[in-house]
Amino acid sequence: MPRWRSSAAYRIAFTNFVAFAAGLALLGVVVFAVMHIAFMRELDSTISDEAQTLVDEYKVGGSRELKEAIAEREMVTSPTRMMYAVYAPDGRRIAGSLNSPRPSLGIHDITFVDPHEGPDSARGIGIDVSRGERLLVADDREWIERIDATVIGVFVIAFLAACGVAFGGALVLGGYLQRRLHAISRSAEAIIGGDIRTRVPVSNSHDEFDQVAATLNRMLDRIEGLLENLRQVSSDIAHDLRTPLARLRNSLERGLADKGDANHAAAVLEDALQRVDEVLSLFAAILRIAEVESGETIRLFKLVDVSELVTGLVESYGAAIEESGRTLVSSIEPDLVVIGDSELLAQAAINLIENAQQHTPAGTLIRLTAVSAGPHVCIQVADTGPGIPKREFSRVVKRFARLDRSRSTSGYGLGLSLVGAIAKLHGGQLQLKDLDPGLSAIIELPATSQTSP
Amino acid sequence: MRILIAEDDLDTAEFVERGLVEIGHTATVVANGSEAWMRLSTEEFDIAILDRMLPALDGVSIVRRLRAAEIQTPVVILTALGRINDRVEGLEAGADDYLVKPFAFSELAARVAAVGRRKPIQSQPTRLEYRGIEIDLLRREVRRDGTAIVLQPREFRVLEELMNEGGKIVTRTMLLERVWNYHFDPRTNIVETHISHLRAKLNEGGKPDAIETVRGVGYRMSDRA
Repeated sequence: MPRWRSSAAYRIAFTNFVAFAAGLALLGVVVFAVMHIAFMRELDSTISDEAQTLVDEYKVGGSRELKEAIAEREMVTSPTRMMYAVYAPDGRRIAGSLNSPRPSLGIHDITFVDPHEGPDSARGIGIDVSRGERLLVADDREWIERIDATVIGVFVIAFLAACGVAFGGALVLGGYLQRRLHAISRSAEAIIGGDIRTRVPVSNSHDEFDQVAATLNRMLDRIEGLLENLRQVSSDIAHDLRTPLARLRNSLERGLADKGDANHAAAVLEDALQRVDEVLSLFAAILRIAEVESGETIRLFKLVDVSELVTGLVESYGAAIEESGRTLVSSIEPDLVVIGDSELLAQAAINLIENAQQHTPAGTLIRLTAVSAGPHVCIQVADTGPGIPKREFSRVVKRFARLDRSRSTSGYGLGLSLVGAIAKLHGGQLQLKDLDPGLSAIIELPATSQTSP
Repeated sequence: MRILIAEDDLDTAEFVERGLVEIGHTATVVANGSEAWMRLSTEEFDIAILDRMLPALDGVSIVRRLRAAEIQTPVVILTALGRINDRVEGLEAGADDYLVKPFAFSELAARVAAVGRRKPIQSQPTRLEYRGIEIDLLRREVRRDGTAIVLQPREFRVLEELMNEGGKIVTRTMLLERVWNYHFDPRTNIVETHISHLRAKLNEGGKPDAIETVRGVGYRMSDRA
């Protein structure tokens, strides 16, 4: 049996049930009261009509006629039979069998003595038929009481039946709510237990529970993706570290083997130093991406003149690119301004330039462009090299992603991922386009007007 | 020079101390921040090398206290944290240079030499001269033995940095930081490219090499020129 008190599902269901029962009871009371009052009014008008009829008899036939009419009426045995009495001015009852003191005028409750049941109350009307003679017509309301009793009886039975049905409904509803919630909770328990692939079951009814379940499942997909990414990155780091560390180990071992030769020992140490620097630069790159992704440098943002920054890059890199047998051409619009970190933006652009230089054959034309495009400032690096297959676009911006053909070149596949992180930090994005042949990488940044830093 | 080293990692402290003593400096090592502050506020040092994270009082706080007390001892901060925020914070506190661990000793030595030689801001020269090479910082003009040489803006800045250090080593990283304002290591050796272009222009006409390459460390103006 479920724990009633601590179950919100049952609490909701039973609160609903109690409200329903209270509403039903209130409805019953109101209907009964209205009906009862209507019957009482009906009774009042019946006795006053009867009294008027008898007054009319008196007017026609006087006292004798009245007494006959009363006697005739008292002969009838019917549950709706009324009671009568006529009083002399001194209060003596001179006709009728109703045992009650002389009444005042008008409709009111009276008390009388029933020959079988003793003292009782009734509704009566006192009316003067002549000077001093007063007629009392009364009804003991027995028929109304019978109707009342019947109505109450029927209502109580109906009420109990309805409550029974509603209670059953509450049990079903409570159970249903609890079952739906338990399904979510069971999935969560399974995930806590280690099965990250478990998902919350979604029914076909598209109700709120399904919406919550679908949202939770999307969240779980995201978390699973992040975990997968983390696992992938960790194993990639471990893998990428193994290569330089293995080379380091080899050269140290070789150095140890022929320790006699001082020149060779120095060469070995120099080589080892270079290997260690490779590892350190890998860590620097990973930490730099983490730093950029954390967004903590945003508070150091200043106005950055992109035109000047890119011009500086052309000056710095033009010669180096020429020497590598490629050509750098540029077209830079003046007065392009963004809010950001000039060093990070330079690093992003440099990564793109270096990619264009390293992953293309000699003779490649590299085009560096800085333009304003609507609300954006775009820094574009386009080359005429072999490009990247379109289907690889989403992969190459991830950490440690390298195309198979670039496995042999240096680098850890962190470059584009850093560019993406830097663009995102600045509220922009990195876009790749296939120029067929060639690749275009665009850093799209939100532009700013020079006057509002 | 008399140098205070505040470093709580014994290996690093010994590595720095031995290196500095070998090149002729006098080094005093302390292992916590409050001791460093006490020594620096009561004794004369030419340079303080402070670790960013020290027990009792961190390096940046020491620099703040020094500058607040108007003690202008040049400070180089060492840090394991390469984050941009930390670097900016350290320099804003009044440190003269900021070096991220791990570093090559030659890098530290070059920076210590540069920081120790740094002149007060008031006496910034407008002309530099070194063995027949003159540069006019205001008119951005360069002459060697009286012959004008046309340099690209960044070549000029590289030469200016080399001339500023007057024959002492300027490392590749120092050039990247000062000329390009890059605190990262680009894969392309733009420093090398610029030095080689600068060298070609300075040496034109068969003159002796004006710039000496110190292998694995950096560059300096050549004595032989």
